[in-house]
Amino acid sequence: MTARVVVAPAAHVRARRRNRLLQNGVWYIVMTALAVITVFPFAWMLLTSIKGPADPITSVPPQFLPNDPTLANYLKVWDALPIPSFFFNSLVVAGAVGLLNVLIASLAAYPLAKMRFLGREAIFYALLATLIVPAQLTYIPSFVLSVNVFHYYDTLAALIFPNLVSAFNIFLLRQAFRGVPNDLIDAARVDGAGEWRIWWQILLPIVRPSLAAVAIFTFVTSWNDFLWPSLMLHTPGGMTLPVGLAALQGFFSSDFRSIAAGVTMTVIPILLFFIAVQRYFVKGLAGAVKG
Amino acid sequence: MTRRFRSTPYLFLAPALALLGVFVVYPIIAVVYYSFTDYDIVRPPVWVGLDNFQKLFADDTFWLALTHSFVYLLVTPILIVLSILLAIVVNRQLRGIHVYRALYFVPAVSGSIAIGLSWRWLFDRSGFVNSVLQSWGIIHDPIQWLATPSLVLPLAMLLTIWAGFGYYSVIFLAGLQNIPEELYDAARIDGCNDFQKHRYVSLPGLRPQIVFVAVISSLAALKVFDEIYVLTNRSGGILDSGVTMVFYLWREAFRLSHAGYASAIAIVLLVVTLAFSIVNVRLLERGQEREA
Repeated sequence: MTARVVVAPAAHVRARRRNRLLQNGVWYIVMTALAVITVFPFAWMLLTSIKGPADPITSVPPQFLPNDPTLANYLKVWDALPIPSFFFNSLVVAGAVGLLNVLIASLAAYPLAKMRFLGREAIFYALLATLIVPAQLTYIPSFVLSVNVFHYYDTLAALIFPNLVSAFNIFLLRQAFRGVPNDLIDAARVDGAGEWRIWWQILLPIVRPSLAAVAIFTFVTSWNDFLWPSLMLHTPGGMTLPVGLAALQGFFSSDFRSIAAGVTMTVIPILLFFIAVQRYFVKGLAGAVKG
Repeated sequence: MTRRFRSTPYLFLAPALALLGVFVVYPIIAVVYYSFTDYDIVRPPVWVGLDNFQKLFADDTFWLALTHSFVYLLVTPILIVLSILLAIVVNRQLRGIHVYRALYFVPAVSGSIAIGLSWRWLFDRSGFVNSVLQSWGIIHDPIQWLATPSLVLPLAMLLTIWAGFGYYSVIFLAGLQNIPEELYDAARIDGCNDFQKHRYVSLPGLRPQIVFVAVISSLAALKVFDEIYVLTNRSGGILDSGVTMVFYLWREAFRLSHAGYASAIAIVLLVVTLAFSIVNVRLLERGQEREA
């Protein structure tokens, strides 16, 4: 009698566990299939890039692994184009744009979140309106400005200055500042702190995760930006990665081994960076919607 | 006390407003002016009144580009459906789930030029896709994917969807995780199956995320450029089969030096985007009323 009472639930539990294992197995198959879809084009690039001259890259059926693996394609690209300069330039531009966006957006977000002043609503809605305007619309006048007024055509400054502020970042940080209790700010005021000190010593430290999210998000966007940089940059040594990659296509035309090597070389660092900061990136993207 | 701080808010806002003035407001005013001129960026603009717009509305390529941009908007509903499904799939505690979520994100952070080049190689005449289809005997001769007018735009859209669905699913995943567990419990008690659970709890709960993704992805679709540029090797495709509004704007302004004419295209793009945003906001408001 007692035995039956013990055994019956055990069998039941075992059945349920087996069921869950089976279910998890199905999910793993689904998720792996999806991962193959998202990663395969890059994997194929990687495989193509290490194939030697004796390995067919266009055979039917396709040959996956090289018989004669080589790094020669990488050396060829490395010799033909200033890849380290591309990296350096991208790093300078994306770094400057990321950091300065945080500074300027966090300055603008403070009064919008925590102060009452004339024109606040008007400014807020004007900022909202700039979000709708496609950036491509401004490229013709911005091009003229770059040549005639600011004289930064074909320099990295041309990529930095027009991208120092985004209304999107201001909204994100305004939302973060609004979450800071007013009592904290009032207490600081009573203690004699000025607005600048409140901003620097109270608000910024509290919203640090949001600042990181804005910086990283802006960094990646700037790193991958193509159309405007392609209009501005024409000297190979002064190009950013996407512009250099597009040049690669022109340079090697149908030499897909080399193009694949170039793409692989440039994609891997940004992927490593992304894996390192994934947490902030995801948080920033998720937080953007609540506003 | 407050009187003493009067100029402070404006000082905080000054850098942002100054930059937006120079790089957004001024260019919009300038582009409106250019659209009424004959302008090649080098020589000073010459006023021609409505000439550019008259030419534009009689220009078949412009209508083609406009049509293509509207067709491109089809990626938005597909992206929303796929990324919600993906979010539901990855919203469970499994070992290694973070690795999977990161893998779905790979195309979104790799940059449009890199992913465009990798797709060009896959869909090359002697590329992987043809090679597989031929070895399975599905096709006999290789398909000219990127040199067939009717395939260029669908392939670019497929590329946008492939690159975007993992990215947008992050937003939906965050939304799903904000939905209180009790709602799902209540649904289960009421006898909902898995499908109904998502239909009646997840979907209404994801409303803000759906609106956000709809707005962001449709604005991105209206101004698509990079994908077309790489996939067609800057040509816009045979018979302009891949030319979108922004691609046409770029080609006219920066390849052919028709900056005045391109400015007129820019104005149309602005009007379309504004109209579209108003529709979006209306839909959003109507949704909120229904909820209230």
